[in-house]
Amino acid sequence: MSETVLAAAALSKGFRSGEDTVRVIDRLSFTLSAGQSMAVIGRSGSGKSTLLNLLCGLETADAGDITVADQNFEVKQGVASPAATCQWALLRKRTIGVVFQEANLMPAMTLLENVQLRASLAGHRAGGEMHWLEQLGVGAEAHRFPDQVSGGQRQRAALAMVFAMHPEITLADEPTGSLDRQTAEEVADRLFEVQRQTGCALVMATHDQALASRCDHCLDLGEGG
Amino acid sequence: MLIRAMTSHYRRHPLQLLALALMIVVATMLWTGVSVLTGQARESLAVSEESVAAREAVVRADGQPVTVEDFVTLRRAGVCVAPWLETALGDPARRVIGIDPLAMACFDVPPAGDSAVGVAGELTGDPFVDISEVTGGSGRAEQSGQLSLLISPDTEFLPEGYQRRSFQLGPATGELADSFLLNLDALSLLVLFITGLLVRSVYHLGLAQRRSSFALLERFGVTKSRLQRLLAMELTLLTLICVVPGVWLGQALANRLGQGFGLALDSLFDLSLYAGEDTPVPWQAGLVMLVLVLGVCLVDRLIPERTGYQSKPSEPAVLPWWVWALMVAIGVEMVIWAFSLVWVFVGTALVFTGIGGLMPGLLARSADAVARRQSPGAPLGRWRYRELAVMFRQLALPVVALQFAMATVLAVQALVTTFEDTFEQWLAQRLSAELYVEIPESASAEGGSRTLADLNGLGDWHHVRRGKVQLPDINAEGEPVTTDLMALSPITSLVTDWTLLESVEEPWTALSSGGVMVNEQLARRQGLSLGQRLTVGIGSASLTMPVVGVYADYGRPAAELLIDGAGLPDDFTPSFQSFSVNPGERSVKDIGQRLKDEWQVADLVIRDNASIQALASQVFQQTFLLTRAISVLTLVLASLSLLVMGWVFFSTRSWYFHLLGIWGLQPDAVRAQLRRLALLLTSGVTLVALPLGVWLTWVLVSRINPLAFGWSLPMAVYPGFWVELGVVMALIGLVIAWLIGRQLNGQVSLRPGASLAGGGER
Ligand SMILES: Nc1ncnc2c1ncn2[C@@H]1O[C@H](COP(=O)(O)OP(=O)(O)OP(=O)(O)O)[C@@H](O)[C@H]1O
Ligand SMILES: [Mg+2]
Repeated sequence: MSETVLAAAALSKGFRSGEDTVRVIDRLSFTLSAGQSMAVIGRSGSGKSTLLNLLCGLETADAGDITVADQNFEVKQGVASPAATCQWALLRKRTIGVVFQEANLMPAMTLLENVQLRASLAGHRAGGEMHWLEQLGVGAEAHRFPDQVSGGQRQRAALAMVFAMHPEITLADEPTGSLDRQTAEEVADRLFEVQRQTGCALVMATHDQALASRCDHCLDLGEGG
Repeated sequence: MLIRAMTSHYRRHPLQLLALALMIVVATMLWTGVSVLTGQARESLAVSEESVAAREAVVRADGQPVTVEDFVTLRRAGVCVAPWLETALGDPARRVIGIDPLAMACFDVPPAGDSAVGVAGELTGDPFVDISEVTGGSGRAEQSGQLSLLISPDTEFLPEGYQRRSFQLGPATGELADSFLLNLDALSLLVLFITGLLVRSVYHLGLAQRRSSFALLERFGVTKSRLQRLLAMELTLLTLICVVPGVWLGQALANRLGQGFGLALDSLFDLSLYAGEDTPVPWQAGLVMLVLVLGVCLVDRLIPERTGYQSKPSEPAVLPWWVWALMVAIGVEMVIWAFSLVWVFVGTALVFTGIGGLMPGLLARSADAVARRQSPGAPLGRWRYRELAVMFRQLALPVVALQFAMATVLAVQALVTTFEDTFEQWLAQRLSAELYVEIPESASAEGGSRTLADLNGLGDWHHVRRGKVQLPDINAEGEPVTTDLMALSPITSLVTDWTLLESVEEPWTALSSGGVMVNEQLARRQGLSLGQRLTVGIGSASLTMPVVGVYADYGRPAAELLIDGAGLPDDFTPSFQSFSVNPGERSVKDIGQRLKDEWQVADLVIRDNASIQALASQVFQQTFLLTRAISVLTLVLASLSLLVMGWVFFSTRSWYFHLLGIWGLQPDAVRAQLRRLALLLTSGVTLVALPLGVWLTWVLVSRINPLAFGWSLPMAVYPGFWVELGVVMALIGLVIAWLIGRQLNGQVSLRPGASLAGGGER
């Protein structure tokens, strides 16, 4: 269980605001082994979303390097090479699942079709999608459209989509952020359950202390910029 | 403060304001251009008709040309005559007609019409000028040009040595022109309709984007009615600002296009006829646009529940689909069975309205159906068709407007091409020989025929006799119905390649052996068909002949029948006789001289048909070009709106394209999806526009024309043009995809929500 799937070394990222640059992530390092979970906490604006975006290649760090599933991304000039962009896209396709606080589903497709789309992009044959929806407790709603189900059900479907692609790493940016306490706990229960079953690593940004304490590790970004 | 809040949206999204402003400007320009051009075309054709209208003149019985002395003699004898002097004037030379308004005072109806001679008797301009301008005061009118002496049709007494003769300057374009103008009118109404749809859709899309800021203002205590008043004011101001350059541009455009039209008209009739110069600024057109824009955008305020910005941008069809379908069905029936023009127009309007209500839903459903049929193994394909369905629903108005615009373009193209062909044919038929020689009244036609028959090396020729014959029917006033007769002899290749709508075998042989041919107008009026026997009173005789053919005779209101001149009874007196001659190896001069010698006259009217034909088709080509320009402009407007709306729509949904990228699709692959989606959108619209366009063509040529004028145009389709249109639409799709693609690349922030306002519809 000690095989490292995700590691960051001296990772830095800043944003220009006017004349000067604000460092949001400052020489951050960590490692995460397969099957483990890590909470990323910190005040609003501390850089949680920024970090998650860096970890899946949606944003490019200014310096430092990231290792994902044996692939190393070293950043020199703060710009991603076309090869790296392509490599990141491939990783997001098959290896890294991403869940946001909302809008994870295509609105014109049913929950099931969404899961099918995500799974097929990851290269899986059609068939097992219903299983994941049932696992996350939205099997009955499989044929409804996103605007016909509740916010909690949408987030469960989004998680089903991620698990249907059999990822090695799941990045979740406040997956329960827009849900009420009760629903948030139910969704979190399902999330941890399935994460343990599949043995994928989980990085979750959250404001919720209780949720963070259920993770194996906790990364505090503090006050932030 | 409130104003600041209202304008802040447009400060953040200047392109949206620009798009709305651009729509209003282009729409105004289009409408102004169309109304100016239609007005000019109408006036020009009216003047041209007038100048070529048949008139009566006095000629000398001895065949010598009339002079000023003749004028004086006739006036002294108390005959109402007026000089009419055709000549070239100015540099470059243009043909003008010199007339004497004072001398014309004795005419009940001024022969040069109201447009030329004002109430006070002064002349208002070309082509009619005061005769003194032409003669330069010398008084020797006959030396300055060709002098004719017009005579009032009421004149009964003529002194010894004078005769009447009717004369004409050129071929009357007749109803072909009228028909074209009617179609132009129908077209401009359609343009107005489409324009309204487009402006409304862009405006409402803008409103939908601002919904959240309005909600905010309301929470701050601004009342709804206040907000609505402000919005109305904002729109009025914007329209007022945009209409001005629109009108100006429209007029500039019309004048540019119109100049070519005017030049061609001038050269056809050898007269300056174009009524388009120095037209006043067409503010009425601007006013119409102002009313239209405010009307279509603010009409919702009249309906209490569905106030402006609250309604969804898509405005889902308020009526169930079967109501729309019923509308289409009733409309189609109406057009088929209508017995008057009004019902055709009502029916067409019903069909368009019904299709407008039906089509977005139908397109969306078909896209959904295709999506369902995609295999689960190809979920990206399914996603694409699902998105397409959303687009058809969300972009209902511009999609319908684009469909209508394309249908119009298709119909206009087919119509114009048909008119061109028809006009060529008609000219070729009317002006079949190269030369046209009028037979003077004093002369013997038989002598002329003999002379021509004896000329070696002469091409084909025939002797034309025109007159009136009686049909067996009685009209409402109890008088026998008369119709035009044309008798030709001999029957040669000059007629044998005419277009026959229906004919027996060997129709021209059948004609020579005692058959009769009728034109389409007569066939329709009398319900004549092939083989039927028609009894006509010619002179004192009554002949019964089988109908052996129906010939197309475009652009003439009159019914006519055609027989072989050999079969005419001896006591038939033609009202007009001429020879149509192909000179062959002979020179025109030679032929003319021989006929003059035979007839012992000094003066002979010989017309060069080829040059008339060339000039006439030139005029029409210009008119057609102009109509095409109008229809292309309509298409540009519709495409522009689709571009704007497509762009706004895609921006609200850009997050979902990002999502594809987040799920691991390479940027190129995302752009490819975007391209395919945009192409599907435009090609879908093209596909549904095709049948509507063909139907509209059919309505124009086969329903409106026969009802209005009694003759139909041949119906033709031009698949080559469909392909061209398809390519244009594909290009528009690619431009949309390119614009959105750029926007996707440029957007740095990859957070949901930021770009989600109102984009989550399905
Ligand atoms: N594209 C950007 N351009 C400039 N500044 C940015 C950009 N994205 C993020 N920032 C800034 O970086 C900082 C970190 O933002 P980030 O979204 O990562 O915070 P967060 O911890 O996720 O906050 P929250 O808990 O509210 O989601 C913020 O100060 C934000 O303003
Ligand atoms: Mg965040």
